[in-house]
Amino acid sequence: MSRLHPYTLLAIAGALPAFAWILPAPSGGTWTAAVALVLTLTPGESPGLTGTGASSGWRARLIVLRTAVVTAAPFWLFLLLLHDVPTTIAIGLRITTMVASFVWLVAALAPARLVEAMVASGWSASVAYLLAATLSAVPMLKARAQRIVEAQRCRGLSPRGGVAARMRALRALALPLVLSALHEVDERALALETRGLVPGIRRTPLAPPPDSAVERAARWVLLVACLFALVRRFTVPGVS
Amino acid sequence: MSIRLLALIPVAAAISLALSAAVDAVALPLFLDTTGTILATALAGPGVGIATGIVTSAVNTLRNPTFWPFVVVQIIVALYAWVAARAGLFRGFRTAVPAGLGLGVIASVTSTPISYLVFGCTTTGGIALTTALGRALGLPPLEACFFGSFVSDFGDKAVSFALVTSVLHALPRRTAARFPWALRAIGAA
Repeated sequence: MSRLHPYTLLAIAGALPAFAWILPAPSGGTWTAAVALVLTLTPGESPGLTGTGASSGWRARLIVLRTAVVTAAPFWLFLLLLHDVPTTIAIGLRITTMVASFVWLVAALAPARLVEAMVASGWSASVAYLLAATLSAVPMLKARAQRIVEAQRCRGLSPRGGVAARMRALRALALPLVLSALHEVDERALALETRGLVPGIRRTPLAPPPDSAVERAARWVLLVACLFALVRRFTVPGVS
Repeated sequence: MSIRLLALIPVAAAISLALSAAVDAVALPLFLDTTGTILATALAGPGVGIATGIVTSAVNTLRNPTFWPFVVVQIIVALYAWVAARAGLFRGFRTAVPAGLGLGVIASVTSTPISYLVFGCTTTGGIALTTALGRALGLPPLEACFFGSFVSDFGDKAVSFALVTSVLHALPRRTAARFPWALRAIGAA
């Protein structure tokens, strides 16, 4: 599955939750949740992109399934707390489909492949940059936030006490993080300009993922099927 | 859009997602996941703010897919922050905190129908528990859902506005002047 074109992976991950919400509950949701959970057992990221080969084994696949189940489980608990059993099953299956589809997508789709596919299909390099740069900046800033927390604790900052004391502590932790991140904007802008990534310019992808006619047709079939199910849901009596 | 503003968007989105580490350290019931959107809007206007909100939701969705339907809230936050920046409401805490409280009401009104219709009000543990509290107090399901969203959003957006105000005032004037809206947002231009 991970060898599929990124747009095909996105289409599958988008279509499954759409079907879960459109098709009658609980049978529709049962089918979509089952398909999504089975998908989590398919191989992970494309070989050669991660370089580790660790994502191809059954253990890695079970980890993906476990992540989906662990992410979806609290929703079932909260639904039981707030709703009756039939409603819990109906909404729970839909949420499980959504969670499992996206957990599978994250495991199957390397961001670099998506960026290559977007650039190859004519998207602006700026749009591709936004996604890739954010994905790389988040762990970096989180690590910096952790260092700031430790540094401020060394200086005697206490995160304990009443709300006012905690708010002051929050300001002392958040302000250096945000200011240091903003000071990086100029460096990033200079780096982008140096690499010729000015808005509106077209780039040539180095290794665009192959997109076969069968996959393109499959994506259209998924879209038409979703629209057909939606129209049927609202026009045919007894389908609810 | 200039290169500087393009570079600002992923940084602001990452700020929204990384602030959770600071929140965890002080153990306050806050999300601060719209701080980057508000900051980007106050610095560079609504276009950059909306882009930041969409990117934040997209990246957050990879962590927890239930975030994606709430992308609408991020867009509304950006538009509201733009109005606040135009009015110079980031000039001090006395204007920023009430503006943030107003955003809390608008955000909870916007997120309630999404939370109710799509997720049955179970988006996060905190919201589910406050919704359950609302039900226990005798509120109908939709109103209990609004109660849950309101409790989580009201203070969160006020703190986000206060934090952005602190950042805008702590930013050196030369740095602030490089962004088109920064000085106007704090009432200095």
